[in-house]
Amino acid sequence: MSSPFSINGGACVAMVGKDCVAIACDLRLGLQSLTVSNNFPKIFPYGDVYLGLTGLATDVTTVADLFRYKVNMYRLREERQISPQTMANLVSTSLYEKRFGPYFVSPVIAGINHTTGKPFICGFDSIGCIDFAKDFIVSGTASDQLFGTCEGLWEPDMEPEDLFETISQALLNAVDRDALSGWGAYVYVIEKDKVTKRLLKGRQD
Amino acid sequence: MPRILLNLIVHHLHLSSASKMENLLGLTGKDFTIVAASKAAMRGATILKASDDKTRSLNKNTLMAFSGEAGDTVHFAEFVQANIQLYSMRNDTELGPPAVASFVRGELARSLRSKKPYTVNLLLGGYDPITKKPHLFWLDYLASVAPLPYAAHGYAQYYCLSILDKHHHPDIELEQGLKILRMCTDELQRRLPIDFKGMLVKVIDKDGVREIDWDSSKAVKSA
Amino acid sequence: MLNANSPLASGPSYSFATPPNQTSTNIKQHSFNPYTDNGGSTLGITGDDFAILAGDTRSTSGYNINTRYAPKVFKIGEDDGTGESAHIVLSVVGFAADGNALKERLNAIVKMYRYQHGKPMSVKACAQRLSTILYGKRFFPYYVHAILGGLDEEGKGALYSYDPVGSYEREQCRAAGAAASLIMPFLDNQVNFKNQYIPGSGEGHALEARKATPLPRAEVEQLVRDAFTSAVERHIEVGDGLQMLVVTKNGIEEIYDPLKKD
Repeated sequence: MSSPFSINGGACVAMVGKDCVAIACDLRLGLQSLTVSNNFPKIFPYGDVYLGLTGLATDVTTVADLFRYKVNMYRLREERQISPQTMANLVSTSLYEKRFGPYFVSPVIAGINHTTGKPFICGFDSIGCIDFAKDFIVSGTASDQLFGTCEGLWEPDMEPEDLFETISQALLNAVDRDALSGWGAYVYVIEKDKVTKRLLKGRQD
Repeated sequence: MPRILLNLIVHHLHLSSASKMENLLGLTGKDFTIVAASKAAMRGATILKASDDKTRSLNKNTLMAFSGEAGDTVHFAEFVQANIQLYSMRNDTELGPPAVASFVRGELARSLRSKKPYTVNLLLGGYDPITKKPHLFWLDYLASVAPLPYAAHGYAQYYCLSILDKHHHPDIELEQGLKILRMCTDELQRRLPIDFKGMLVKVIDKDGVREIDWDSSKAVKSA
Repeated sequence: MLNANSPLASGPSYSFATPPNQTSTNIKQHSFNPYTDNGGSTLGITGDDFAILAGDTRSTSGYNINTRYAPKVFKIGEDDGTGESAHIVLSVVGFAADGNALKERLNAIVKMYRYQHGKPMSVKACAQRLSTILYGKRFFPYYVHAILGGLDEEGKGALYSYDPVGSYEREQCRAAGAAASLIMPFLDNQVNFKNQYIPGSGEGHALEARKATPLPRAEVEQLVRDAFTSAVERHIEVGDGLQMLVVTKNGIEEIYDPLKKD
């Protein structure tokens, strides 16, 4: 009940398509059963890489701010954008630094590697163990539901339009079966030279 | 289980009882933000003071209202206030409300993972004179932060958010805002079993922070 | 992987494996837990003139597999002696021993009904009776999530789902058991067309939701297979075999498909 991972609620999912990736999150922020805000996005852009964070809201903000600092420092030193793979390792090592007093977050990464042109997604536990998946990554209080909808709806090599529909349906239907998630959603569809951000209304209860 | 995890759970249970009787309310309008805080200073079932001011202005255009553990609240508020004022003096410029909120959250988040975290819930109201937009930030003692059009802490969350859901609109004038606030404070007076000694109401707009005369002497009828 | 809700955190649950608690005063305390979770999942969907109840056939205790073939869906009221065939199906998931006891009890009651009244029990009546049985053990419940299926008085597919103490409701579809949280949102989307709208039908509140209409049998069967193959991928307590009972006016048809055994 009061596990730090489920005090505030929230859900996030990333998916791979044909030469594209998508990442989506819900917008709820709550305190147990009380909804405090319906405009609390959980996806943060770092150049070409997108980081989704679910879990304890305070740590979502702390971790998002921490990586804004770290990625900015990386850009200044390297004079180039960070790649999704490098970002994954940065997230992993940063979380493991707090091995015995972790940030209570379950991060998800999505992006396209501009050197190889290949889509990339991955997920982490709260202490930085990376889950490299070829299909989809889920996280948050609706993760069980998301596993079900993603496993049922996802198929290989989807075009951006189909990927958008699939990830949207997977997220919306999953959060509708979770009392701690929902209240609208953001969906990012990332292609080689284009990113589309859409706001989904969803059920407002 | 990590110590910090236990801390979080313990504090969560701790806060749920005592400090819920302290009510903070905030709402934004077209070109202003209203922040209200109950005037009773309580210790257990005893009211120590009936004219407590649970607010501090951090700079010309931001006001912070606070509730929580007795010693922590004022100490944290005045620490933040001093630092924001120091910034204004050093740089000869005022931080905007979102920047102030970010700083306050950072300090609260840092304290959360220290030996003795502050157990303080906050509302941060402000008016940005550059963008000419009102701001309101809701922060809890875990340093969760949410920018909101209207917000509350304590039992006011349960009694007033539904009223604000129905009646609030981002374009309202100050007069309408105060009318909605009256509906909220009346409801609190009607439903809460303990007298919270009325509300202290302050408005933040282009002219800075000012107190509004708020009469709570009239008895509110209940069914 | 350290996962927030991994079974490792709570530990597998056995009925007899609770170790004697060693207290500080060196007094041994013994306890007996009358319930075990045997895992698995069930699912029911109705169509215009049929009802399908399905369940996987794996039975687990903690991380052990007891057997790869333990049915969770049963025909109710079948009589070997007279050859009278059943027209009601029941699925039970949760604690298998309670599930079997419940099945036996309901089966006996439905048979007795026919012997005493000279007509088969309606699904509606059976549904109410099952609720009464479950509530009868309100303070030592059958630890199961039951689903009852059949055809109603008009010949339309009927499905009733229960909680362990007898609250029940007639529905179009329902998933129960270990993977219910995985399967149910998928069913909302694919059976009741939740979150689906008719393209170009309008904007905002004018946007028209896609209406749920009863699906043909072949489509429903495929949905059931998809739901279970998905659940098998992500839930360790689900797998081995998929058993489906299809109720139509011609009787009950049983289909068995293998599932992954890992």
